[in-house]
Amino acid sequence: MSDYAHPEVLVSTDWVAEHLADPSVRIVEIDVDTQAYAAGHIPGAAGFNWETQLQDGVRRDILSRTDFERLMGEAGITPEHTVVVYGDNNNWFAAYGFWLMKLYGHQDVRLMNGGRVKWLGEDDKELTPDLPEVTPTTYRATGEHPELRARLRDVLAIVDGDANQGSQDSHNLVDVRSPDEFTGKVIAPPGMSETAQRAGHIPGAKNVPWSTAVAPDGTFKSADELRQIYVEGQGVDPARPTVAYCRIGERSSHTWFVLKYLLGLADVRNYDGSWTEYGSVIGVPIER
Amino acid sequence: MDHRRRVYDDILELLPSEENPSPMVRLRKMSPEPETFPLFAKLEWMNPFGSVKDRAASFLLRDLEERGELSPEDGAESDEPRRGIVEPTSGNTGISLAAMASARGYPMLAVVPNKVPLEKKVLLKIAGAELEVVNDELCPSPGMGDGSINLAKTYAKAQRARYVMPNQYENEANVRAHLETTGPEIWRQTDGEVTHVFLSLGTCGTVTGLARYLKERKPEVRIFAVQPTEGHDVPGLRNVRQLEVSKLFDPSLIDEILEIDHELAYTRALELCRTEGLLAGPSSGLIYEGARRVVERGGTGLGVLLFPDNVFKYTSNLVKHIPALAEGTEPPS
Repeated sequence: MSDYAHPEVLVSTDWVAEHLADPSVRIVEIDVDTQAYAAGHIPGAAGFNWETQLQDGVRRDILSRTDFERLMGEAGITPEHTVVVYGDNNNWFAAYGFWLMKLYGHQDVRLMNGGRVKWLGEDDKELTPDLPEVTPTTYRATGEHPELRARLRDVLAIVDGDANQGSQDSHNLVDVRSPDEFTGKVIAPPGMSETAQRAGHIPGAKNVPWSTAVAPDGTFKSADELRQIYVEGQGVDPARPTVAYCRIGERSSHTWFVLKYLLGLADVRNYDGSWTEYGSVIGVPIER
Repeated sequence: MDHRRRVYDDILELLPSEENPSPMVRLRKMSPEPETFPLFAKLEWMNPFGSVKDRAASFLLRDLEERGELSPEDGAESDEPRRGIVEPTSGNTGISLAAMASARGYPMLAVVPNKVPLEKKVLLKIAGAELEVVNDELCPSPGMGDGSINLAKTYAKAQRARYVMPNQYENEANVRAHLETTGPEIWRQTDGEVTHVFLSLGTCGTVTGLARYLKERKPEVRIFAVQPTEGHDVPGLRNVRQLEVSKLFDPSLIDEILEIDHELAYTRALELCRTEGLLAGPSSGLIYEGARRVVERGGTGLGVLLFPDNVFKYTSNLVKHIPALAEGTEPPS
């Protein structure tokens, strides 16, 4: 029974409960919208709205460095703080927040295993609608880490490179969407407003739906189980660089977290443009 | 209260019971084998607030009062806002709870998935509930708890002084309602001759309570549950994959689950309206289809179909699935 590669980035609900009053810890809830946060959140937690606060307001892009610094500073966070992120939907958007913070060099970020729903189900855990008392600070990002992010040009280079080599094995491409999206049966799950012009997947990609990585209670499966799923099961080669993608890039950040921090793969990038970008680009190859 | 003359002192006296059962009507043209396998529709929309949920709602509220979680109006003294209820609901439970809570003086917050038709959302407000609407299916994932259930639980946990959650999905009082009313009614109304019961699954309170009662008296009674196919928008129903949120679900009490194309819910409901004069809602349409298939397999019996509510709240949904209904609703241009 082996351990996660980086067990220190995953904390339990009990750990969070024990550290609620710890001044070196800041807790941040990240949801697609703040409805749940407003009704009740972990005492002391700040709430970030994925839709309005983690995206650029005009261009399709992540938050700029300046806006990121302002967001963190207004929440009373400094680069020295241990930041614990959690959220609904099994930590999808929290994992995206984790990735974003790592992109901008925040040293100590951790994910609360099981997310909101786990905390909700535990009788000894409190929730409050009260907003935390915050002393805003000045946050200066310590650096940027673009090597954690795949852009369209990176993905096309992989696809073209593989085509030139006549093989599809320079990289692991992991598509974390549902099988129907992967095979092209549907472009996106029913009712989604963000979709693409074409259905299918990036040539060479392997399909491992994001939820395969978690148990029914939302916590991550063991390192051995994860290795069985990704490496032995789907042929994800730890020796090769990996790019994970989905539809809009937040489910894939969940898998990015699994591959990089739990399985310890050396080079893992999140392709946040994901299928809504790739599936609409003129002239790129698509597999079904 | 006088059931014979149908004169009552208040609306709550009309709640269903063995002495005041919801009516059963024999199916005629739509019955595949009317002589050898008669089918009876039990019309739950005849309950005071319009659905089968009146039963669960009254037992849930009574249970909270008995446990001291809520106090009826007569006891209220302080200036503090009265403790009320919060509940995740697709509409019917909310309407029943809201109407009863208003009558008893409690505030109510209904947490409702967005896909619920407008009529139901407005009715909740009319009945006295405050509404919070949740985008349940933003990034769908089978097996995850419903957004509306989790949000209601959040309110109950984070704001205990203001809200208590009856919790129709986990509270045994829901099952008891059917053990003490629906089951005994069916037994008495069919003189113990019922052999097949057809119903749908949501919280599973109905099937669990009713099945327990009937099978105890007649183990050979067979219970058939219908499920809509995945991707359905039939409010209140859960398909196979969504059932884990219903803690009351006891598969050992169900003889067969039939998965039925959700479109049939609407077309069969329309047929029930036009052919039988039963103005039944979409879940009833699905239940009818299940019964029809079972009867067509052969054999004899006496079937009871539990029709949860009528079609009045679903006109916009019906138009969505049967667009021809919208034709001719404007003057010719």
